[in-house]
Amino acid sequence: MFLPIRQRRTPGARITARALILGGVVITLALIAAGCGGGNSSSSASGTSGKPCDASIGVLTVLTGAAGPQGREMLHWAQLAVDQFNQENGTNITVVEGDDQLDPAQAATVAQQWASNSKIVAVVGPESDGTVDSAGPILGKAGLVMVSSTATSSRLTDGKYPTFYRVIPPDSLQGSQDAQYMIDTLKVKKVFVIDDQSAYSKGIADVVVPKLKDAGVDVSSDSVSQNNTDYSALVSKISDDTDVVFLPWMLAANAQLFGDQMAEQGKKAAIFGSDGVFSPQDFHVNGSYISTFSPDIQNDPKYADLVKEFEDQYGQFGAFGLTTYPATQVVLEAVKKACDDGGSPPDVGAVAENVKNTNIQESVLGQPIEFESNGEMKNAKFYVYTIKDGEYVIAPS
Amino acid sequence: MDFFVQQLVNGLTLGSLYALLALGYSIVYGVLGLLNFAQGEVYMVGAFIGFGVLSGLGGPASLAVPVPLALMLMFIAAALGSGALSVAIERIAFKPLREASRIAPLITALGVSVFLQNAVLLLLGPDIRNYDASSFIPFTSGIHAGPLNISLIRIIVIVTTFALMVALTLWVGRSKLGRLMRAVSYDREGAQMIGIDVDRTIMIAFFVGGVLAGIAGVMAGLVFSRVFQLMGFVAGLKAFTGAVIGGIGSIPGAMLGGMLVGLAESFTAAYISSTFQNVIVFAVLVVMMVVRPTGLLGRPTVGKV
Repeated sequence: MFLPIRQRRTPGARITARALILGGVVITLALIAAGCGGGNSSSSASGTSGKPCDASIGVLTVLTGAAGPQGREMLHWAQLAVDQFNQENGTNITVVEGDDQLDPAQAATVAQQWASNSKIVAVVGPESDGTVDSAGPILGKAGLVMVSSTATSSRLTDGKYPTFYRVIPPDSLQGSQDAQYMIDTLKVKKVFVIDDQSAYSKGIADVVVPKLKDAGVDVSSDSVSQNNTDYSALVSKISDDTDVVFLPWMLAANAQLFGDQMAEQGKKAAIFGSDGVFSPQDFHVNGSYISTFSPDIQNDPKYADLVKEFEDQYGQFGAFGLTTYPATQVVLEAVKKACDDGGSPPDVGAVAENVKNTNIQESVLGQPIEFESNGEMKNAKFYVYTIKDGEYVIAPS
Repeated sequence: MDFFVQQLVNGLTLGSLYALLALGYSIVYGVLGLLNFAQGEVYMVGAFIGFGVLSGLGGPASLAVPVPLALMLMFIAAALGSGALSVAIERIAFKPLREASRIAPLITALGVSVFLQNAVLLLLGPDIRNYDASSFIPFTSGIHAGPLNISLIRIIVIVTTFALMVALTLWVGRSKLGRLMRAVSYDREGAQMIGIDVDRTIMIAFFVGGVLAGIAGVMAGLVFSRVFQLMGFVAGLKAFTGAVIGGIGSIPGAMLGGMLVGLAESFTAAYISSTFQNVIVFAVLVVMMVVRPTGLLGRPTVGKV
């Protein structure tokens, strides 16, 4: 006992002590409510000023924290696209970095800054469904067009965010394709679905669970906070006859941790992850499946130069950032056209209009980029990969 | 039954980390009446120091020294480094405010916490470091009986924690330094008047708190692999919750409270849903504040004029 002797304190002191602990509790709860907070946005300029078409585009993604590696990879693809574009077209478009830490509150803060920054004419991102929900209304109100390369929720294109576009397919497609793959190819009997409590994750789980149930699969589900690093209690709940643990998570590193803790408890079920888990550096549990919207360009000789150029500047990459490259190209084409039509600096409304009418015939996505009127890309598709000896390979269908 | 035991082990592992951190809160609160919210960040720095030693010894996959020696070195380096950091925090951030109103050091503690997170972010970058403990303490070691799987890593964590608790209890109860700490916590001015070096005693309290946090940090790296600059935030809050539930200022209370929080999390995930983990933990905290503000083992402070 630390205080073995009865304390003699004045009543005032006693109240202060209790008030202090209460204050601590209040601060604790407030901090939980507010999340970690903090963060910054910085700008990095490339090229020299004075050239025609002088403008900035914002890249809103997560640069620090657990998902930082994926977000920085996205930023690097955007920077590469901008550098190449400036060189080819003599434009002077710069990238403004916005770090939202995968936190909707932080994304709203950055969006506010950008909405009042007349230099920024378009946004690449936001990167997740939750951050689109918070930054979307603010950016939309300022007339700024958003082209996301990773936010997949189906409801983002239901008309709420008229300036939102994406170069990837929606979750409804991913969820139903994943469920179909588990039913048809993996012939699952029992599946444990665990979402990570994010809008993105719940969206996919909500599509997958009923679809599996309709096919007669025994489905149980749970959900776990992204702040957790201890999944052992959940892992213990995986029964031995479970075929697949479906993890539609945003953080690949967390899925790896889950896989490690499964190995620790000798669980044999296969992990099936969604696009957020797709990251060869962070997730490499052999025998797992991952669906993703990103094609594999690293083994495609057609893109050898691009791969080399990226690796020379930024090092190895996974697949999460790649789609940011075409997303940035969409924005750059739109900005340049607005400059050509109306002079520099370009008009924000004209940029948005140009994005809507995008028509890029060749892209790393292996298909042309054109948009439906609701902002979805025409004919977007998903790919399922599997991990063999630590390598990602296209899964047999 | 196996399921229950498995969850008990899961809970005790998590509880061990919280308990060690909670002890730091409680010891400092005991001598100084200060809530040191930077405790979680001291734990984070400890985890990074452990990782540094691990990398210096050749990395998880190719250790240059025997595994027990490597573990010892990691624990010792993290304990000393975190202890020193904790003392430095006390000297720089809290000592100048010792006579200020009690809210001032509380705010400072939060400031130190944000400072440390960002300092580590700037110095070491935002990448997640991975202890990858299973490559030098394989999962196959430990107890495996049917569905029950208790890895050696978890056994090490739980046993070390209990050993530390026993040692700490004996030290505070029996040693001269322990008596000094109790004297200062009982009445700082009085202790000063009879010639106790209060500054030194407070410094020792911070050092011990830091040592425990550093050890907890290495344990977190071993069990949960990932080490990053924000890892201390949630762990610190949970440990603080444990300290309050157990009765802040009380050493056995901190141990009990930390373990209870860990067990509550595991059993909530096991028998209800992990969705409710935080809800349950913090609901227990709120209920405790209402029903028994002094915590489970805290003594009510008796006021006399």
